[in-house]
Amino acid sequence: MKRKGLGFYAKIYCKILAQDLKSKMSYRADFIISTVGMICTNIAGFISFWILFRNFPSINGWSYYEMLFLYGFSLVSLTPVQCFFDNNWSLRQNVYTGDFIKYCFRPINTFFYYQSEVFDIKGLGQLAFGLGTLIYSWIKIGLGFTPLMLLKTVVFMITASLIMIAMQNAAAATCFWIQNSFYVLDLAFRFKDYAKYPITIFSPVFRFIFTFLMPIAFIAYYPSLVILRPDKVPVLSWLSPVIGIAFFWLSYKIWMHGAKNYSGTGS
Amino acid sequence: MKLKKYLTLTRAGIIEALQFRLSFVVMVIGNLLYLIVVYFLWKAIYASAGTDVVNGMTFTDTLIYLVLATALFNFMEMYTVWEIGRNIQSGKIVLDLLKPMEYRKYLFWSYSGSFVTQFFLTFLPTFVAVAVVTHGAVPMGINLLYFVISVVMAVSVNYSIDFIVGTICLYTESIWGINIMKQVVVLLLSGATIPIAFFPDTLRTVVNFLPFQSIYNAPLSLLLNGSPDTETLLTTLGTQLIWCIVMMAISKVFWKVSLRQITVNGG
Amino acid sequence: MSAIIEIKNVSKEFRVLNRREGLKGSLKDLFSRDYKTVRAVDNISMTIQQGEIVGYLGPNGAGKSTTIKMMTGVLEPTSGEILVGGNVPYKNRTKNAQEIGVVFGQRSQLWWALPLVESFRILKDIYQIPDEKYESILKLYRSLVDIEPLLHKPVRQMSLGQRTLSDILAAFLHDPKTVFLDEPTIGLDVAMKSRIRTLIHALNKERNTTVILTTHDMGDVDALCRRIVIIDKGRMLYDNDIGHLKSFFGSYRTLKLRMDGGLKEQAKLVQKELPGFSVSADDEWISVLVDEEKAKIMDVLGKLQHSFNIRDMQLEEISTEDVIKKIYEEGVQ
Repeated sequence: MKRKGLGFYAKIYCKILAQDLKSKMSYRADFIISTVGMICTNIAGFISFWILFRNFPSINGWSYYEMLFLYGFSLVSLTPVQCFFDNNWSLRQNVYTGDFIKYCFRPINTFFYYQSEVFDIKGLGQLAFGLGTLIYSWIKIGLGFTPLMLLKTVVFMITASLIMIAMQNAAAATCFWIQNSFYVLDLAFRFKDYAKYPITIFSPVFRFIFTFLMPIAFIAYYPSLVILRPDKVPVLSWLSPVIGIAFFWLSYKIWMHGAKNYSGTGS
Repeated sequence: MKLKKYLTLTRAGIIEALQFRLSFVVMVIGNLLYLIVVYFLWKAIYASAGTDVVNGMTFTDTLIYLVLATALFNFMEMYTVWEIGRNIQSGKIVLDLLKPMEYRKYLFWSYSGSFVTQFFLTFLPTFVAVAVVTHGAVPMGINLLYFVISVVMAVSVNYSIDFIVGTICLYTESIWGINIMKQVVVLLLSGATIPIAFFPDTLRTVVNFLPFQSIYNAPLSLLLNGSPDTETLLTTLGTQLIWCIVMMAISKVFWKVSLRQITVNGG
Repeated sequence: MSAIIEIKNVSKEFRVLNRREGLKGSLKDLFSRDYKTVRAVDNISMTIQQGEIVGYLGPNGAGKSTTIKMMTGVLEPTSGEILVGGNVPYKNRTKNAQEIGVVFGQRSQLWWALPLVESFRILKDIYQIPDEKYESILKLYRSLVDIEPLLHKPVRQMSLGQRTLSDILAAFLHDPKTVFLDEPTIGLDVAMKSRIRTLIHALNKERNTTVILTTHDMGDVDALCRRIVIIDKGRMLYDNDIGHLKSFFGSYRTLKLRMDGGLKEQAKLVQKELPGFSVSADDEWISVLVDEEKAKIMDVLGKLQHSFNIRDMQLEEISTEDVIKKIYEEGVQ
């Protein structure tokens, strides 16, 4: 048997992804309605943001456009979790009905096989929306533009994504142990709504909690500081790539452990 | 005797809800987190505003409003759209239609058990906590009675809207898309996420002509206003009552027409 | 022949939650939980040779699926040793998975919205099947069944029988050493059952694939297996040649009767009428196990007709449940 390297997995991913897109095409109405739903969500989010902050030139030292930058940054960094890890939402159902077992019979990594099965195109709408917001606020703030900034933005966005993916993985994995894990997943999903505010609005205690215990601040705040306020970047911002990778790895371990643990119960 | 058959469904619902103790814990944590974020966010907003009263509401008012809106949301959320959609897709709807009860009523009373548990486990504790923490900023008088009446109508309007949206599932497979659209529209336009008092004038005028504000804004503004004048009282409750009747009628007719269409076409 | 599967003193225990009943019970469950340990598989040992078709039988909840999950590496045994093709399944799950195929119940492992051939192509990549091997197995499939109409049909549009057939073909695609088939013929009509049996038989012959078959259908066992293993409540009851078992039970058939009056009470009266016969009753039928070497079915029926008002009757081949019942009652040497 040949060794299964990155190339092998990349090839399989493309194959399975292509099949998913093909099957999605056979439910066109669903696709259109879901996309419209996703756009509605983003518009509603934007309207709320606008209603809240339009009257105030700055909140806690953060200008309207800086807040908007954070908002856009969080939307973009949430795209990967939406696009590539959407199957986490069905995990509970799969485990409950026992269908999950089919992912255990293949000679490839269970986590990979499971996640590869769904690619959610709706996330791309969010990406466009987020990018638009980001570029608009970028220009309004007058950040200027260098290739290095672009590189930094990409790196730190990936970082931010990893944190959110990690939280979703870990939350989804709870269904291996508890029955009604929907609430846990939903809770983790709501974190994204809190990520868009600067952490300085919180009291020190909650700043600590949202940094170290529930790392919501890493979804947008810390990574975006590197671009937004380049003169005073806290250490935590520079550390965020490491933290992102560590969290992702940890969540993967939890997920896989759960998958092993689960197989005991379903019949 | 007639009530008894409904109460049996209520009891079954309570038992079912208690099976999931963990979901309660998670839900409480989730709400707590949300409230913490809301608290600090609005604190920052009021601090930036420089005045104690913004759009006719003090910081305490806004906080009570939003806390209780969350509690009301948990109290009223029945996942009706999901339930109807799934029942239609699985074909279980046929069995439900055979029950000697109107489907609209059957679904409502099946859920009523969770009204009871939610009321005691989330709404009441939240309410007491808010009243204590804000040192009596919640007026305790005849307004409580108005509030209760208003909530009953709010539940009815909310359910009718859910049922109407659920009925759409007879025409499309896209439950997720339909549901997410409903959710963001209702939450934003009902004043659940931001009090309607903060809306810009034009938007507020539009929203006042829509049924959504009957769900959150109406009961909560009645509660916060310790001594409403008769005119305000009658307009608020009257508008609610009208929406109650209108939405109920629409949901009934829409269901009937849709069902006939589907059975005729053999959907 | 060489041993492909070796199982030594394997046990598996689960912890299950005891749920209390009623409103009060649920309230109690909210605060304290009561777990108990269940032994799903209890000290099982067996050795299976390459190329054998083994019928793995037992009533629902006997521990069949649990054993299979342990052999496929999905579950880790609580104690004991398992070797499948030289691998310890739960330690080298992916390596083991490369060398086995699984068809699990009525759960299709194929891609629901895709034509079968697309699923095959993905499997080809996942299992890294070389082109020439893939072509040769497709050629074999063409010679065995009429797969052309299946290949281009999305799985969700297939009938249950076509789906099962497809699942079996998918399981053999990478030429595994062992294939586990869990209830492959459940819910199918007679013609389809026979097609599936023929297919399994042919694949076993052509590829010398070991097949572990769990089923409730004695017809499957008759058509395919030379050896059967029976377990009940996690314990091994029987592991031997099917002929050996048949010499004990082959001549048995079950006479099922429906009559006026409460079935439970009537069954007692029937038992009184027929001493030495095994009589039981469920919600619908009274079952009498008749050894045709000792008594003729018609005689038994005639005898009963005198004293009972029989409204309906059926004749059934002996079922696994009956076999197990007999083993408990009389034992097998």
